[in-house]
Amino acid sequence: MKHSVDNRTGVIVRNLALPGLLILVWQLWALNLPVGSPAPSPVKVVQTLGELLSKGSLISATVQSLGRVLMGFAMASVLGIALGLLMGSIRAVRENLDPIIESFRPIAPMAILPIAILWLGTGTPTALAIVAYASFFPVVVNTVHGVSHVDRKLILAARTMGISPWTILVRVVLPGALPSILLGTRLAMGVAWTAIIAAELAVGAKSGGGGSGGIGQMMFVFYAYNIDLNAIVVCMTVVGLVALCIDQIFRVLEKRLIPWRQEA
Amino acid sequence: MNTPSDATKLRLTGVTKSFFTPRTGTTTLAVAEMNLDIQTGEFICIVGPSGCGKSTVLNMIAGLDQPSSGRIEKDGHAITGPGADRGVMFQDYALMPWQTVEDNVGFGLRHGTPGEHLSAKQRQERVAHFIDLVGLRGSEPKYPHQLSGGMRQRVALARLLANGPDILLLDEPLGALDAQTRLILQSELLRIWGETSPVSERKTAIFITHDIEEAVLLADRVVVMSTHPGRVREVVTIDIPRPRAGHARTNPRFGALVEHIWSLIRDEAYRAIGGGASVEPASHETTH
Repeated sequence: MKHSVDNRTGVIVRNLALPGLLILVWQLWALNLPVGSPAPSPVKVVQTLGELLSKGSLISATVQSLGRVLMGFAMASVLGIALGLLMGSIRAVRENLDPIIESFRPIAPMAILPIAILWLGTGTPTALAIVAYASFFPVVVNTVHGVSHVDRKLILAARTMGISPWTILVRVVLPGALPSILLGTRLAMGVAWTAIIAAELAVGAKSGGGGSGGIGQMMFVFYAYNIDLNAIVVCMTVVGLVALCIDQIFRVLEKRLIPWRQEA
Repeated sequence: MNTPSDATKLRLTGVTKSFFTPRTGTTTLAVAEMNLDIQTGEFICIVGPSGCGKSTVLNMIAGLDQPSSGRIEKDGHAITGPGADRGVMFQDYALMPWQTVEDNVGFGLRHGTPGEHLSAKQRQERVAHFIDLVGLRGSEPKYPHQLSGGMRQRVALARLLANGPDILLLDEPLGALDAQTRLILQSELLRIWGETSPVSERKTAIFITHDIEEAVLLADRVVVMSTHPGRVREVVTIDIPRPRAGHARTNPRFGALVEHIWSLIRDEAYRAIGGGASVEPASHETTH
């Protein structure tokens, strides 16, 4: 028992060695800066984090952004999986939709922002549209890929058991494509999170609101009005940590939903 | 054409299947003018060199493929599509990887026509019965990837039987197994098919194999096919008494029948592996 505990601490020490060293070097560098320099340092970042947390604005902004991400992601997933299943199993649907999807896919989410703002304003609907747009592509592309790689024999076997096409879609094609679909949603969640920050940054330039505009807008305010680099680093760190947590949740979910892949 | 008897289960009349390859613009004749009557309770093996259209014939009977011309009738009615009355066992098992043994065996009962008139309890009993029959009790909660090839094949067999088909279509079901497992499953297959029961209680089975000994061991009649295009070369009646499991190989007729079938496909088999006409085939000893 003691041995394994030692091992675990060993692993933690090893994994934290490089980040710890980088923070140390950063702090040493910051110590040599002239007094009053706006450049960020680890100590000042931690202080700012404390202030922002006690004011509550950091948490409310993060929750706001996260809510938009989950909402936009959910919209994109439902649409992406449904369309992907249809495209993957019905040739005519695939051949009609594929050119449309492939020609929109290279257009960055930020590039549709002007239109989104004109049509939907500078609030939550625009943020949702950007997130949904960004995360739709990984979901639909991976779903189509997953469906087209479902073992043909499984579908034939199901047909010889007198199973209807609709049931085959739900009971054979969907679970067969699930590993690929989950990969697509995990990638989608990643791009959703980057898209919301960028969207809020850009929308912030127009409305200039406070914490209610999400964490991206909060960053814009610190940049444009206060030039508080420490606060911006705090925001960046929070964005990174939240993304890390979301990714971990997806990995756990994947293990739960695909038990047959565990030791294959 | 011989007159149809009451016991004719399956009738193939002039069945021809050609495939069109759009890339090359060529049409390949896979099966040509096949005529065959199969009686209820008969065990038919189809052997022949690769490319003789064995699997195509099976797929057409299953209804997964349509003949280009000709007619396939079951109990006097044309086959138009797949149905649970004709169960298929695929070479690579075709088990759902996300389902446990129990769920795989009950897949057709839960989602297809075979379970339509059964209660949940009846389905469960049926699944348990066939898991027992193939000797898989205790493995119910396992996933296919946790099983050996032989065990996966048993799951596929239990699933096939649980759906209650009256025709069993078996596409090289034992092809991927090691020699010992294969011998065991051959005798179990004969037992489950009903070798010791009266003919009227047996299922009709069509079994594809490239193993001539296996064909002689299992079949009432062996359909020998030739290639390019796939045609029936000869239908060999296997007059070895049943039950055969275990000791048929010692019957003097066994070797003679194996030798005869081998002589029918030897030349084409040699050509298929690229030996050409210059290679003088050695006398047959074993097909393994």
